[in-house]
Amino acid sequence: MSRFSKTVVAALLAGCALGAHALDRYPGLGRVATAEEVKAWDIDVRPDFVGLPKGSGSVDDGADIFENKCASCHGSFGESNEVFTPLVGGTTKEDVQTGRVKALVTGSFPQRTTFMKVPTISTLFDYIQRAMPWTAPKSLKPDEVYAVLAYLLNLAEVVPADFVLSDQNIRDVQNLMPNRNGMSTDHGMWPGRGMGNGGKPDVKNVACMKDCKTEVKLTSSLPEYAQDAHGNLADQNRLVGGVRGKQTVAPAEGDEKAIAGQPSTNAIATALATEKGCMACHGVANKIVGPSYQDVAAKYKGQDGAEARLVAKVKSGGQGVWGAIPMPAQSHVKDEEISKLVQWILSGAKAQ
Amino acid sequence: MGNPMRIRAAEKDGVTEVKVLMNHEMETGQRKDSSGNLIPAHFISELTAKHGDKVVLQAEFGPSVSKNPFLSFKFKGGAKGDKVVVSWIDNKGDTRSDEATIG
Ligand code: HEC
Ligand code: HEC
Repeated sequence: MSRFSKTVVAALLAGCALGAHALDRYPGLGRVATAEEVKAWDIDVRPDFVGLPKGSGSVDDGADIFENKCASCHGSFGESNEVFTPLVGGTTKEDVQTGRVKALVTGSFPQRTTFMKVPTISTLFDYIQRAMPWTAPKSLKPDEVYAVLAYLLNLAEVVPADFVLSDQNIRDVQNLMPNRNGMSTDHGMWPGRGMGNGGKPDVKNVACMKDCKTEVKLTSSLPEYAQDAHGNLADQNRLVGGVRGKQTVAPAEGDEKAIAGQPSTNAIATALATEKGCMACHGVANKIVGPSYQDVAAKYKGQDGAEARLVAKVKSGGQGVWGAIPMPAQSHVKDEEISKLVQWILSGAKAQ
Repeated sequence: MGNPMRIRAAEKDGVTEVKVLMNHEMETGQRKDSSGNLIPAHFISELTAKHGDKVVLQAEFGPSVSKNPFLSFKFKGGAKGDKVVVSWIDNKGDTRSDEATIG
């Protein structure tokens, strides 16, 4: 138990005990897993090598297996960064001596490869056995896992070309891992200072209790010409809670209010139509359940009294003008809001 | 003498595929270090691959090729057990030669 504290083990054991207890509490429900069933799931290889299967594999065999089963994604030499960061690279003979990868400190290597980061060889064994090849996980036999791992270790210049990795010598190779001394638990992320320090988090968010700021002051914002770089933020916002995305599409000409950062009449109407649920059935330019706003505007263009008729129709609902599907009464919307919406629709339902 | 290359050569249906991973800084000569001084150019300028005495590939490299370059090529006429030798020379006159057996 070199890497994980006793607390974790105790917690795990407590978990098992609880499981058995739960079965007692609900008689007739489920059964205890058989030893075989547990064994089939229990494939993890731990830093202290508990769970490591017996076996061995040579660098040469590993090179062939790697070429056939791994190279298509990771490159023949583990160098490819096409589907994932390279597995090998960035480590030196000196790192093998010190156990700390210097390039992680100096930043002299463009990526952070697997061998630069991983401190424990058991992690590689476990991961390859469990998850690789990506397209056929758990398909490698233990000897094949030893072999590809030996090949990767040779590529990383940790072991010589005639090396045979096995359950007998894997502990010795652990002592050559380039970043074996690079793991730290002395930080604010889980588990932090070995578990038990209360794992002080690395962010602080203290609620203000006194002399708090009373107003929000914007200190920076995107320049005007770049506001719509990600489209109209108002359209992308989920209508949950009080936050609404800003209208970031270019304001219509002459709409000074919008230019000054205030939402325009059209923008307010758009937001209102969204909020009141009109947009669920009506698109601006496309028919959904009901007609598009532009079609409505075109139909009633220049007609006297259209506004008043439509306001009444929306308020009480109705059918037959656009088809057999009725519009339910929109009685949850205030009269003046319906007027605003209908005016907006008749003027072409512009976003700005 | 530069750092060793990784070479893999495999024959199939009369065609040998060679993959080479070189280990070289490939410094362009255009970058500056943190104190603003130009980092001198250092790159592989010429590469040759031989099958026996026969040159099967000759390439001119330059500063636009990446650090630790990867090269892959195919040639006809190799047989399992033959040797493929890859050599490079860089702009400082440093050279490196490595070989692989066709598998
Ligand atoms: C079809 C593509 C593919 C194949 C084939 C494949 N891998 Fe992977 N490998 C990946 C991807 C994608 C990841 C990243 C997975 C992730 O982070 O969830 C990965 C991750 C890994 C990692 C962990 C790297 C890290 O730093 O976390 C190792 C080690 C690895 N692969 C080894 C192998 C070995 C050995 C084989 C052959 C037996 C193999 N892979 C075959 C796609 C592949
Ligand atoms: C459940 C779907 C639904 C909702 C929600 C809805 N409508 Fe409608 N709306 C329709 C249908 C269907 C029609 C076509 C009715 C018809 O053919 O007479 C329609 C028609 C209209 C018309 C044209 C009426 C006419 O007689 O030409 C207007 C204007 C209108 N809706 C505005 C609104 C407004 C504003 C809201 C939001 C307050 C809204 N609708 C909400 C389904 C809906």
